[in-house]
Amino acid sequence: MNSWLAPRYLAWLWQGFGITLGLAATVAIAATALGFGLALLRNARSRQIQWIASGYVLVFRNSPLLVQLMFWYFGVATLLPEAAMTWLNTPHILALGGLTLHWPSFEFIAGWLGLTCYSTTFIGEEFRSGLRGVPAGQYHAAAALGLRPLAAFRYVILPQAVRISMPPLFGQYMNIVKNSSLTMAIGLAELSYASRQVDTETFKTFQAFGAATLLYILTIALIEAALVVFQRSGARMSHRS
Amino acid sequence: MKVNALAAAVLGLLLSVSGAAHADRLDDIKSAGVLRVATFDSNPPFGYVDPKSNQIVGLDVDYAKAVAAKLGVKLEIQATNPANRIAFLTSNKVDLVFANFTITDERKKEVDFSTPYFSSGTQFIAKKGVLTSPAQLNNLRIGADKGTTNEQQVRAQFPNATIVAYDDTPFAFAALRTGNVQAITQDGPKLVGLLAKVPDRDKYEIPPFTISNDYEGVGVPKGETRLLNTVNTTLTGLEANGTAAKIYDQWFGPKSAAPLPRLFKIGDPQKS
Repeated sequence: MNSWLAPRYLAWLWQGFGITLGLAATVAIAATALGFGLALLRNARSRQIQWIASGYVLVFRNSPLLVQLMFWYFGVATLLPEAAMTWLNTPHILALGGLTLHWPSFEFIAGWLGLTCYSTTFIGEEFRSGLRGVPAGQYHAAAALGLRPLAAFRYVILPQAVRISMPPLFGQYMNIVKNSSLTMAIGLAELSYASRQVDTETFKTFQAFGAATLLYILTIALIEAALVVFQRSGARMSHRS
Repeated sequence: MKVNALAAAVLGLLLSVSGAAHADRLDDIKSAGVLRVATFDSNPPFGYVDPKSNQIVGLDVDYAKAVAAKLGVKLEIQATNPANRIAFLTSNKVDLVFANFTITDERKKEVDFSTPYFSSGTQFIAKKGVLTSPAQLNNLRIGADKGTTNEQQVRAQFPNATIVAYDDTPFAFAALRTGNVQAITQDGPKLVGLLAKVPDRDKYEIPPFTISNDYEGVGVPKGETRLLNTVNTTLTGLEANGTAAKIYDQWFGPKSAAPLPRLFKIGDPQKS
């Protein structure tokens, strides 16, 4: 308790924080796109497509994320051919001008895949409830104005649905940041992993986990602030029109 | 005169009392005809209860038997655990401790240690042929258990190695089997125990090197120099006549349940 962490250990935490942010951001982007698609599939005309979509939700929402991560990392890896695993586990570097791109580790890929599949179901359900939250009268009014169904969806329904689902959607982004800590179980060196690492090396338990907690809280607070900014600007825009 | 006589008498008494307190343990053992030894009873293959005979057996027990035989006395085994090994010695409940007793400077303040008769260290399991020398570790992905000294040693000595830490050894081994890491690290005796249970163990090997070493010795009561010397000469004698290698092979040899190459012989110089 008497001293702060040495710079070396702060660097570990900082790197871990970077991985957490990178993972959460890429998962959020992918899960938003896929979740939107999922919501559309659940409202599809074809019964079969509806069943497939709800089957996906059933599987990925109703099992623990930790088990899913283990499945992708340990389970799927045994199914892949050995050559593919060797490729995935050797570093690949792509140099573009002054920029070097590193192919992510298999821990990152498995963590990203697991988190994305899991978060897609929740985000999809938030979009679906947003779509259902638009009163049926809006569809009829749009049709009465002569809009084709696609145009009605694009210009009338969707903007309202997005606004309805925005607060719970940001809640899901917060969950993604927090859920990313589970990837430490498959060896991804994100913030929680780094804080545990620092704890075992320095025995400064309070500082190690305290710093990690603060960084998580900070990230969540920023997401919350982003939501407020988004809602204010959205409100201003709707006033103008 | 009288005072002098009294002083001489008191002095004599003191001498005889201190003489009694320092009665040589080696002579005590010989006159009693019994060597009392503390060993583990649940730490295979060092010391554990054999379910068939209900006796404590193991590598440590075999060494204790050999020392008792050399002294020409009966062996009496007292079961112990890591927590009370030292207390047994300091409270005179046993004469020697053979209990996978790692020699540390901290423990040397409480008890004396014989020359090491066993060594264990941070080792690796890899698929056959993948890992042959420590230098290769810098280019490999190494699985470790979170928070172990093994992980810290690899990181300190091989800064370019990629270390992936898992919650426990079975997870690390699962990652090795799926190819997520090319080697995993733990203490040698633990690795052989793990490998012994694996169905496809023929695919894996424990490369014959360590990157750190712990030395295990016989715990001897502090200050019993003659007893300590006798234990030391007995141990070096066991190495010289091949008994030590035989005892090792019985528990860690190629035909044992948990084969581990013998990298340390009694009397070898100690590495860090």
